[in-house]
Amino acid sequence: MSNETATLSQTGDTRKAARIKRETVSTVAIAIICVVLLYLSRFISPALGSWSQVETVLILGSFLVVVAFGQGLVILTGGLDLSIPALITLGGVLSTTAVGAGNPDAWFLLPAALLACGFVGFLSAVGVVWLRVPPFIMTMAMSIIVASAALGITKGTPRGYAPDAAVALMKSHILGLPSPIVFVIGFVFLGWLLQERSPLGRYLYAIGTNAEASRIAGVPVTAMQIFPYVISAMCAGFAGFMLVGYSSGATLRMGDDYLLPSIAAVVIGGSSILGGQGSFLGTVGGAFLLTILGTIISAIGLEFGLRTIIEGTIILIALLLLREELFNRIRSIRRKA
Amino acid sequence: MQISSLQAAAAKALVAESVRKAYGATVALQHADITLEGGEVHAVLGENGAGKSTLVRILTGATAPDAGSIHIHGEPYRPHSIEDARTHGVATAFQELSLVPNLTVAQNLLLPHLSRGIAGMVSGRRNIERAAQILAEHKLGRLDPRVDVSTLPLADRQRLEIVRALKNAGSVLILDEPTASLAETDWLFEQIERATERNVAVLYISHRLSEVREICRSATVLRNGATIASVSLTEATDGDIFEMMVGKKVREELSGEGRSRASGETRLKVSNLSGGTVEEVSFDLKAGEVLGIAALEGQGQRDVFRMLAGLERVDGGSVELDGKPYVAHSPRAALKAGSGVAYLPEERKTEGILAGMTAASNVVLPILGKVGFPAIVNDRVEFRMAKDAGERVDMAPRYLGFAIGDLSGGNQQKALIARVLATGARTLLLFDPTRGVDVGTKASIYAAIRAFTDEGGSVLFYSSELPELVQLADRCMVLYGGQIAATYPRDQIDEQRLVTAMTGHVDARERAAS
Repeated sequence: MSNETATLSQTGDTRKAARIKRETVSTVAIAIICVVLLYLSRFISPALGSWSQVETVLILGSFLVVVAFGQGLVILTGGLDLSIPALITLGGVLSTTAVGAGNPDAWFLLPAALLACGFVGFLSAVGVVWLRVPPFIMTMAMSIIVASAALGITKGTPRGYAPDAAVALMKSHILGLPSPIVFVIGFVFLGWLLQERSPLGRYLYAIGTNAEASRIAGVPVTAMQIFPYVISAMCAGFAGFMLVGYSSGATLRMGDDYLLPSIAAVVIGGSSILGGQGSFLGTVGGAFLLTILGTIISAIGLEFGLRTIIEGTIILIALLLLREELFNRIRSIRRKA
Repeated sequence: MQISSLQAAAAKALVAESVRKAYGATVALQHADITLEGGEVHAVLGENGAGKSTLVRILTGATAPDAGSIHIHGEPYRPHSIEDARTHGVATAFQELSLVPNLTVAQNLLLPHLSRGIAGMVSGRRNIERAAQILAEHKLGRLDPRVDVSTLPLADRQRLEIVRALKNAGSVLILDEPTASLAETDWLFEQIERATERNVAVLYISHRLSEVREICRSATVLRNGATIASVSLTEATDGDIFEMMVGKKVREELSGEGRSRASGETRLKVSNLSGGTVEEVSFDLKAGEVLGIAALEGQGQRDVFRMLAGLERVDGGSVELDGKPYVAHSPRAALKAGSGVAYLPEERKTEGILAGMTAASNVVLPILGKVGFPAIVNDRVEFRMAKDAGERVDMAPRYLGFAIGDLSGGNQQKALIARVLATGARTLLLFDPTRGVDVGTKASIYAAIRAFTDEGGSVLFYSSELPELVQLADRCMVLYGGQIAATYPRDQIDEQRLVTAMTGHVDARERAAS
């Protein structure tokens, strides 16, 4: 009875590799949500949903795109950068005091300011990679040190004014488009090349997936773990420079609004907070989605506290909706169809 | 008629019919049927990727099937968690042990049903007594229930995992590779017999056919996610079973023909190498040669490989590669040194594959730096770079586009071997390259190693399977206690000799000869 109870079809392995990647699905989903949200917003307030709002969103979102790129690289390797606000402030203060006020003609001061920011990122990375301090603690400690140093040096009020280059970057037009929009398009393209289409980007994905296996495979793990912190710090510093150009001055709290959004943009964009997964285009979508929500909420004109509560709730909902399961479900529906 | 068939069904401990499970695009199990009688030990046999693990996951409640029905003693059974499966009397000893390392033996045994004392607080003493009693019942009285599981040797952890499953198995006990870390089977088989005496059905999964024949009466063979047959083991021969497992294509290459003999000049010269548990090991590896290493667990083989790969510190001695001093501080440095040294690590899952990335990405990762400027890397470029290496290990090109974590263990291993081949390194350090892979994959890996040495490559090769060394090695060293106990030339390698030397009994005469 138990012999030969079942002899069944002997089909071979006919599986196919997934045609569409999870990252692609999430990026497209976010882009669609952004467009729909922009369109629907005209029913909330007549001031919204126009081309000028699109421009506003792209300009306001450009700061977040820049910092979220660095944050995304750090998260990709399994870390986290909490020093972004302090480095935005550092970048801003250096722009006004050293570049703007002191020596407007010395072209090398801006790169020098960015290098200074990069050095701070390098110190964070040394703590994380060599001293094995958890990224969370290390970057927060760096953040406090840098913020305090900025406070001490400026004595509470940053002096100087926005350098011409910063104003030119944020306030002029190129081919009829506001220059920050042109800039952000170029930045996104370069960021995408670096993260998605370069050996370096592949190394970062590999390390985020399994650092030890990557080391054994021959990936320069230590260097590739330091690199994202340096880039993140330089991006944050550059965002400070952009903010100075946009608002014509630096304040000591100018970076405060960018920490959580920088992380939220990355995660909403489909990246795993544990590293090894995600795409930069998704992060860009996440950054603009958050910016659109911000403009809509402020157009409604709610109290600040209420605004923050709604913003937090929406971020949470977006995260829940855009989780991995959703994409798997979409893919399995496609397959059945 | 219907009543009698119902009664017949109720007599069976477990009946699973037409069970199907897909993970995304991957159909892991397409049509599995299995029937277990109460009190029988029933084996599940199949190659890697045949669907054994998925079947186990479904039966234990770790995952839900997409279709099909399962009955336990005639009652429908659809567990939604491992805990739920246990309440139905189905308990599992997992291959990847499921004990919590920083809890005590007692806590691991009794969770989640710890005894409560005053005010519902967990009572330490009572739990320890209960645990000690359970351990004694299963002849493990020598274990102290109070120590943390992490302090136990691997074999005892496996026994503990098995005891916990035995304790919870009311009607079905699932043992997934229970002897993976056990040196001898006497204790295990005794425990299994005691379980079958109380009419528990045992599902036994193992790669070792001799062991299966010893303890099991019948077996179900899976291939490509489908049940091929259920057979009585007293009637089926090994050949029948192999044929059912792999289909018609049982490979003849396994017999070890086509060996290359011409060894060239010395490629790797290791002199008095010390570090970790290794003391003063010296050997030469020639071009075109496969140098085997035989050893019991933990005799220093891992240290030898990891030192040469740049993963572990060298305390003493020197290494020359092609006559030049060789010092590697990282696997990357090892790859770049001279003619290159590439290492295939022991643990496929934790040290080898990068699960979320495609097989092609996994293969080309070490050589991405060579794409040149402008260095644009995308799936197509990676596929092109990986294709040749994939062919050398007989890997179907279409698998290169899969996330490597979705592939079977055998294909993962092929990809990792393709990776070391793709690096262009002339010396490969292969640590147990066929661990846990099926017969067909083994043949492909042997062929790839042979082809590599025929072109003048050198291979240092450790294997936990002696027949493999006998078949593949041009010379074979035996490591014992961190030292080379003996070295045998090709015509003297046989299992008997190796086992003798591995257990530390080298004949003085032979030592002189070697």
